[in-house]
Amino acid sequence: MDFEAVIGLEIHVELNCATKLFCDCPNRPGDEPNANTCPTCLWLPGAAPCLSQAALEKAALLCLGLGAELQPLSAFDQKVYYYPDLPKGYQLSQAHLPLSRGGGITITNERGEARALRIHHIHMEEDVAKLVHELEGRQPISLVDFNRAGAPLVEIVTEPDFRTPHEAMEFLKALRTQVRYVGASECSMENGTMRVDANISVRPRGSSQMNTKVEVKNMNSVRHVGDAIAFEIARQSAAVQAGEAVVLHTRLWDPDKKATLPMRAKFEGPCVPDPSVPAIALTPAWIETLRARLPEMPAAKAERLVKEHGVSAEDAAFLSADTDVAAYFEALTAHGVSAKMALHWIATQVLPAVRERGQELSASPVTPARLAGLLTLLARDEINANAAREVLVALFQSEASAETIVSARGFRQISDTGALDALIDQVLAAQPAALADVRNGVGKATGFLIGQVMQASQGKANPKLIKELLAKRL
Amino acid sequence: MTPITLFENPDPAPAVPGGPLCGTRVALQPTISVAGWPTDAGSAALAGFTALEDATVVQRLRQAGAALTGLTRTSEFGFGLHGSQAGEAVRLGAADAELVLDMMGECRVAAARAGAYGLTPSAGLVSRLGLIGLIPSMERCGLLARSCGTLHALLAALAGPDGRDLTLEEAPPPAPAPLPADARGVTLGVIPQALDGLPAAQAEGFRAALARLATAGVAVRELSLPEYDLFALVHAIVGSVEASSCAGRYDSVRYGRRPPGAKNWNEMYLSARGAAFGTCVKSFLIQGAFFQFERYAAYENACRIRARLVAAAQRLVAEVDALALPLPDRVPEDITAAPLAEICAPFGCTRLASVTGQPALAMPAAGACGALQLVGPRLGDARLLALGETLAAVCREGK
Repeated sequence: MDFEAVIGLEIHVELNCATKLFCDCPNRPGDEPNANTCPTCLWLPGAAPCLSQAALEKAALLCLGLGAELQPLSAFDQKVYYYPDLPKGYQLSQAHLPLSRGGGITITNERGEARALRIHHIHMEEDVAKLVHELEGRQPISLVDFNRAGAPLVEIVTEPDFRTPHEAMEFLKALRTQVRYVGASECSMENGTMRVDANISVRPRGSSQMNTKVEVKNMNSVRHVGDAIAFEIARQSAAVQAGEAVVLHTRLWDPDKKATLPMRAKFEGPCVPDPSVPAIALTPAWIETLRARLPEMPAAKAERLVKEHGVSAEDAAFLSADTDVAAYFEALTAHGVSAKMALHWIATQVLPAVRERGQELSASPVTPARLAGLLTLLARDEINANAAREVLVALFQSEASAETIVSARGFRQISDTGALDALIDQVLAAQPAALADVRNGVGKATGFLIGQVMQASQGKANPKLIKELLAKRL
Repeated sequence: MTPITLFENPDPAPAVPGGPLCGTRVALQPTISVAGWPTDAGSAALAGFTALEDATVVQRLRQAGAALTGLTRTSEFGFGLHGSQAGEAVRLGAADAELVLDMMGECRVAAARAGAYGLTPSAGLVSRLGLIGLIPSMERCGLLARSCGTLHALLAALAGPDGRDLTLEEAPPPAPAPLPADARGVTLGVIPQALDGLPAAQAEGFRAALARLATAGVAVRELSLPEYDLFALVHAIVGSVEASSCAGRYDSVRYGRRPPGAKNWNEMYLSARGAAFGTCVKSFLIQGAFFQFERYAAYENACRIRARLVAAAQRLVAEVDALALPLPDRVPEDITAAPLAEICAPFGCTRLASVTGQPALAMPAAGACGALQLVGPRLGDARLLALGETLAAVCREGK
């Protein structure tokens, strides 16, 4: 039988707010354990949660960035479960009235078709504490670190629109880009600021039934999400084929075994409205003010780059995947650099150089203005490409302009035909054998002669001009 | 330690001399956090727990120059009055006022028991930061004193916005309607359904008190509220579900006793929670867990009915100056390990205000039996106290 998968994702994104969701403690989970705590985030008796305005704004901006509709009224509930990472017995989450509904992302599937994948809703919730398991002598003990307790999270719950691991991975990459665009989170699966659970079921292809799903957790990269889904589809398909029933449960992805394994269920109950956090009422005016703060989102940006700069759709997607890259590109073109040259230099020179130096593109000493100075000299043939690459290194090392570096270090290209003719004479006289080869039609010999002239000019000759002059002589 | 106090403040002198509450001695319950004091809420679940910071009401008492005398004995989490000495410090003259957590009428019944005045302020008027009760949507910091004047001074010091309790009203309460010059201008509303099923002596006492007020010129209007019985039902369901969810924090992970021998976390929870709670609280939590996990639809219904009751009570009170309700002035003393129903029995007429969030004032009645409870419109606390003062004069004359 031919099976197809029905997949939905639940994505937790840790917001990069300065403070926690319900108190003023710093939102820095990585600090010394339990350094960032207070009675509220230790969930001591008598504490009263106070919803952070900054977290609400960031969460709402994220919703708008994903095309979701902010709800005029949302509220927190108590999601009851007992586990030592939550020593108050319930997590504040929005179960009944989420912050937003709807929204989605359009991706390109394996067959190159556009697929609109819908978001069911987005809600806010507090993170729980972190458990550290250790041995005290031979006695296993569990330590609780509350630095993460109460950290602001949003959970993005999709519709079960996905059919393949590829679609899930493309969705996650696009989601990460969009969340980074609005500045709400770094969305790093490796660092745990983005955590993905996948709900997977299988059915005969063409059927519209919804079968029992299995939830898979513990994937810490986009790649692992794809692998885990693929494994689970194969596992369930084989089970159904063998006549076994799929039962509702949760499994953990084991990256070493490359398999999902069942985990023990934790006790969970229905959510009760929380009486301590007031409901959140958003006015249309507030929402519009926030919408005005929304940056141009990746899809719109890519479309505009194609239209305004004539780059290909693929290049536009590359540029708009990172706001910093797109901004750098547009700044270069604003300084008169051609789109083609800007794209080429960003992709092949600047990004590798920045990465190698561990810098952020937006904070790199090689600003678009300084690079534009260099690329203008290159475009005018005042320097050649080899020299330009050396000047770029110099731009990283000093504050001087490309113009100054080129002059000071004598990188200016020799485009004076008289001077080049003299060099050519010199080389032809010294290389009679090569000259003979050229005349006998040995192709490689022309290149050799050009190289010799370049060497004689200490790399400063204009290679295009040498070629022209040489052709006239031969 | 005395029969009524659990902890005596060795240094009750106020840090801020000359404040409006200067010279007022206030006793607290251990359900109200005082930094460094044993705030165990009367429960083994919090045995040895010391509050890290003052409740907002405690901060405000200190700022107003009150002297904090100590902690009185309380029922577990202040729920019901079984084992509670609330009101005794005022009755015996050991304090001028007490703060008493009120979840179903505890402050009001305690005031009646002590022959004193008790105010359950409007929901959203006094900060709940630092209060340790069981029913967040119903619990309020009740005020108990020998006169309406003292209650008024306390309320003035304690009420008002708190940046750390966002459930409070930010705007000041609306300006009250002008007060009648004396009892002759006052209209009270009586809900006949509230008298159904009341012990005969209590109903008799209530009628006698109303008759005395009527003689003094108070107009008494009958206001029917056929759904009156639902207040107790909504309280039982919504209150216990909130308690069940909120008491999840008493799991012995961070505080409280952890009985030895548990093999895993789940066993640890079961043994710790089994040992932590008394019979009454346990019954209430189990009742809540039943509705939360087994009858969730009934809980949702109760929430909807609550919204309807709030509107109905607000409509009724708008027709009069205040609603008058009976109030028992004694609670069964000699019950040990009393069942939940018995613990809740004295609170038949106080749960209306607990469910609706309206302010309610307990005052001694003119008759020989029982006390009187006045329920005002939400945030009409100041006017309710002034009204109470006017009627108190009539009641005193009747004695």
